[in-house]
Amino acid sequence: MEKKLGVYICKGCGIGEALDIEKLEKKVPPKVKICKSHPIMCSPEGIELIKQGIAGEEGVNTVVIAACSRRVLYDVFDFGPVIVERVNLREGVVWSHKPEEKRMTGGEEGEGPRVDELIQEMAEDYLRMGMAEAERVLPPEPYKETIDKKIMVMGGGITGLSAALEVAKVGYEATVIEKGPQVGGFAVKMRKQTPSSYPYEDLQEPVIQQIIKEAEAHPKIEIRTGLEVARIAGSPGLFDVTFKQAGTKSKWDIPEPVEVDEGAEAPPQPPDADKATPEDPANILAKDTDADRFGAIVLATGWKPWEPQEQGAAEEPKEGEEPPKEGEEPEPKEEGPNYEHLGLGKFPDVITNVALEEMAAKGKILRPSDGKPAASVAFVQCPGQGTDEDFPYASSITSMVALKQAKYVREDGGDDTKAYIFYQHMRTPGQNEYFYKSAQQDDGIFLTKGDVVSVSQNGDGLVLEANDTLLGENIKVSADMVVLGTGMVPITRDEPVLNFAYRQGAGFRDLDLFDGYPDSNFICFPYETRRTGIYAAGCARRAMGIQECIEDAAGAVLKAIQCLESAHRGVSVHPRSGDMTFPDFFFQRCTQCKRCTEECPFGALDDDEKGTPLPNPTRCRRCGTCMGACPERIVGFADYNIDSIGSMVKAIEVPEDDDENLRVLVLACENDAYPAFDMVGLHRLSYSPLVRIIPVRCLGSVNVVWIKDALSKGIDGIMTIGCKFGDDYQCHFIKGSELLDIRMDKIGEALKSLALEKERVQQVQIAIDEYDKIPGIIEEFMETIQGVGPNPFKGF
Amino acid sequence: MANSYWVEPDVKFVRQLKTMGGDTLKKCYQCATCSVVCPISPEERPFPRKEMIAAQWGLKDKLVGNMDVWLCHQCNDCSTYCPRGAKPGDILNAVRGMTITEYAWPGWLGKIVPDARFWWLLLAIPIAIFLVLLGATGYLKIPEGEIEFAKFFPTLLVDLVFVPLATLWIPLTFGIGISRFMKAIHNNAVAEGKAKRNDLNIPDFLKSLVCTIPTILSHSKFSQCTANKDRYLAHLLVLFSFAGLFVVTNIFFVALYILQLPGPYSQANPVKIFANLNAIALLVGVILMISNRLKDRGPNVGKGSYFDWSLILLVLGLVATGGLSELTRLAHLPSIAYPMYFAHLVFVFCLFAYLPFSKLAHLVYRTLAMAYSRYALREPCE
Repeated sequence: MEKKLGVYICKGCGIGEALDIEKLEKKVPPKVKICKSHPIMCSPEGIELIKQGIAGEEGVNTVVIAACSRRVLYDVFDFGPVIVERVNLREGVVWSHKPEEKRMTGGEEGEGPRVDELIQEMAEDYLRMGMAEAERVLPPEPYKETIDKKIMVMGGGITGLSAALEVAKVGYEATVIEKGPQVGGFAVKMRKQTPSSYPYEDLQEPVIQQIIKEAEAHPKIEIRTGLEVARIAGSPGLFDVTFKQAGTKSKWDIPEPVEVDEGAEAPPQPPDADKATPEDPANILAKDTDADRFGAIVLATGWKPWEPQEQGAAEEPKEGEEPPKEGEEPEPKEEGPNYEHLGLGKFPDVITNVALEEMAAKGKILRPSDGKPAASVAFVQCPGQGTDEDFPYASSITSMVALKQAKYVREDGGDDTKAYIFYQHMRTPGQNEYFYKSAQQDDGIFLTKGDVVSVSQNGDGLVLEANDTLLGENIKVSADMVVLGTGMVPITRDEPVLNFAYRQGAGFRDLDLFDGYPDSNFICFPYETRRTGIYAAGCARRAMGIQECIEDAAGAVLKAIQCLESAHRGVSVHPRSGDMTFPDFFFQRCTQCKRCTEECPFGALDDDEKGTPLPNPTRCRRCGTCMGACPERIVGFADYNIDSIGSMVKAIEVPEDDDENLRVLVLACENDAYPAFDMVGLHRLSYSPLVRIIPVRCLGSVNVVWIKDALSKGIDGIMTIGCKFGDDYQCHFIKGSELLDIRMDKIGEALKSLALEKERVQQVQIAIDEYDKIPGIIEEFMETIQGVGPNPFKGF
Repeated sequence: MANSYWVEPDVKFVRQLKTMGGDTLKKCYQCATCSVVCPISPEERPFPRKEMIAAQWGLKDKLVGNMDVWLCHQCNDCSTYCPRGAKPGDILNAVRGMTITEYAWPGWLGKIVPDARFWWLLLAIPIAIFLVLLGATGYLKIPEGEIEFAKFFPTLLVDLVFVPLATLWIPLTFGIGISRFMKAIHNNAVAEGKAKRNDLNIPDFLKSLVCTIPTILSHSKFSQCTANKDRYLAHLLVLFSFAGLFVVTNIFFVALYILQLPGPYSQANPVKIFANLNAIALLVGVILMISNRLKDRGPNVGKGSYFDWSLILLVLGLVATGGLSELTRLAHLPSIAYPMYFAHLVFVFCLFAYLPFSKLAHLVYRTLAMAYSRYALREPCE
């Protein structure tokens, strides 16, 4: 496509006063068809001016608008198929610098260049960079496939059934897959549920039966029980799902997952995955008539109770078993501590809250040891032993359940029945506080914080000892039963559940970051998992009560529908919702190093028969991590590629032989860092005018070639600014900033070999609300660069 | 663990406490705002936070023998500031009531005095005694001529009832209650580490008792209250007028039996003037008490239970009938004056006979607890 550029410079919002617009216009090369300025470019007259250029004889098809940030007024500057390039003069230049200060730089003598001149240079650079980028981008075309819009709901509990109903009510079809012989999940094993409506005080009859009835009767819902997923192949809109009888093996089972170490050097070629599969899964729908195609998947596989180990199970190696070798750590038991002092497994009358709930649903609460009614029950919410930790996976639900079950005890027994609750944390958020109050006001419910030291036999009953209670001392109480408030473990922690036939493995990655929950980011992106098209809801996502599960199901269903409709339109899902681009691979030059395959945070790439990366466009979230990873630079998007950013870097004019007028390149993540830079402008803070900022989709998309280009061009320092990574990561694409950090480590060594200082390249983690730190961060970096001096490659 | 306290919550005790004015006790969530805002709570192991959880858990042994509940003067600053609507001040008041019942001897009387169902019985006892006494001696009629109460109810008969009441009944019953109480608070204070000495030494205790008197007379604890500072004046008036009337009664006792000067006495008699002033002060005091109780200090704060109101109304009845008998006597209205005098004597009987079982017992229990607190070095002598 032949580019016909039109450059439009806005003089509004202080740009005209701060900059010499005429001088700026002179920098536009003559081959540009139109170069115009306007006092207010976003006004109807300004827009008309641009439209004239597009419709007129010049036939402008690429518009470069030098005005405000690309993050604002994008709807005003939308001219249909015309490429629009925005040059950020407002937030990025005039608002974030002080052009009115016409003083000299360079210490007290003021021998350096004048500040207003530096700012003019900055604007000129940005304009050149904008034009350079505009030359190298193409209008995106959506990748469209014929997709299936049916939604599979995994799990037939309260969340799954609610999700199916939500799907059906908006007119889509749902298939519920339940592992057990019937639907309902744990909700059908409950006597009562905690209140969901005003006055939030009394226990409610479970709503599950009503929901089961509704779901079973709905014509758009198919319920299949006793089934597990053997394999999920394909991608959103095109998930080919094969089923098997629960607990059995199937010829469609996927082979053992290939272990991958992210960010490491390319591992040796994995064994041909297909060999392990008894039958070739290609064209599976034709071979397995029971298989089905789905557009998106709601993961509502729920939870299982956390169980302490059986008494003494982990103590000594069994006979005939080899003792662990010297220096070799024995395999840690996955369930962790067994809390022997609480007597679970030792005394029949010590049970878990799950066991009590099941007992209560069937009838009165009776002691397991002798079947007599329990006149006093002690609920233990935390294992004690000097810490204030709760049981693993305990949550506000555990607190609510203890209060609920204490009410059962009081319901079942006489007026003098007693229920004790020993807790370290009583968590009853929101309206649940009313439920707490109602339980607290029961004459026979006794609450105290306390460190439970032991449970032991005392004649016919049990005796519980607790230290540091609210009673101001260590206490003992006798109880007929002791109930341990164990938590809810997401099924995804221990089983792949979904069985993806993906190159990156059958389950979710990095589950340990979230204790086995499948979230991609619990706070920022609820429901999303690290597999596009799979949305978690209910207790698979976090421990929650019945009412919350019902609401959560609706949320996940909305995400699932968004996903399949986006796939249908060929656009990206969140966070680049609506993005029509997708990564293009120039496979002729692919060396099959598989860095893209491994680094993709969403597992969008599989291998084809020859081991070449096989893109699955609807799995892709367009972060560009593959592009950043590729050493051959064969990955790119229509409007964002190695060349487009590389040419922006090259468009920066680097003054030679000037120790004062250095240049620093900032590659800023457009999710947090770039908005933060805009906010610096909005708040009229300022930073050095020697900095040039280029927004990138994610730090993961930063290819080291840009850094090499910048350094060889003579740019003195480079900062990459992106989201936090690690345990509390805030990266919108989960791994991007972390992956760049690893790549940067390697670049440090390369710099050394070029006799360049390592400090010239630095990565900074920032959150969107930390804009106020930016001037300080830039200043510090400028000082570092001034310390190491100008780039010796200048002028080569 | 040997030093663990074996907790045996008593659900019945919780329910009882609730009917005695502690209805909100379960609302407490142990934030300890009460102990912080209380102007008179000691710095070490302050009340009422710890009493609140003991009350919630039905730990009777931690409450009825607890001197701290008597250090509380029911200012209700705690109840005003409580974020959960619990009323620690009122709950400690209920605990005090239950303490009186707990240590009362005979126990059955201890139970029926605070029981609203038996108010009629308590009044019927003196009425029956008086009717039998007057009937048997042939006095049961309105006498003719100048009104003289002795003509209707001979002084000898009055004293036949009241002297044994004051010299035998009260010392015996109250003595038993007091000795139980003292043992209990001592043991509790030692066990909970509130006492800085473990012995119980009578002379030292008496010294503490003496140093407590100025605190009581000056009402300095009441004067520290914020939420309920009005009680200071009301309680002061009632206490001092009672003391005054006690003095008057003794003077007239001496006048009658030793100086042989039977009444009625002239209104100009200085003792008579003093008596009338005290009666007026008592009336004002008790009316203030009633109005304070009815004042709105937050939802139901300080309203009190039957146990509180029975004493207040008794005192009101006492002063009203006393005043009216005097006024109607001076107005020569024998048909009102004599029955009024009869009613007055009934109320006086109730006050005396039920002293160890009614709220009035706090006069002694609180004094002893305050003295003990000084003795045990929990509070300093002023």
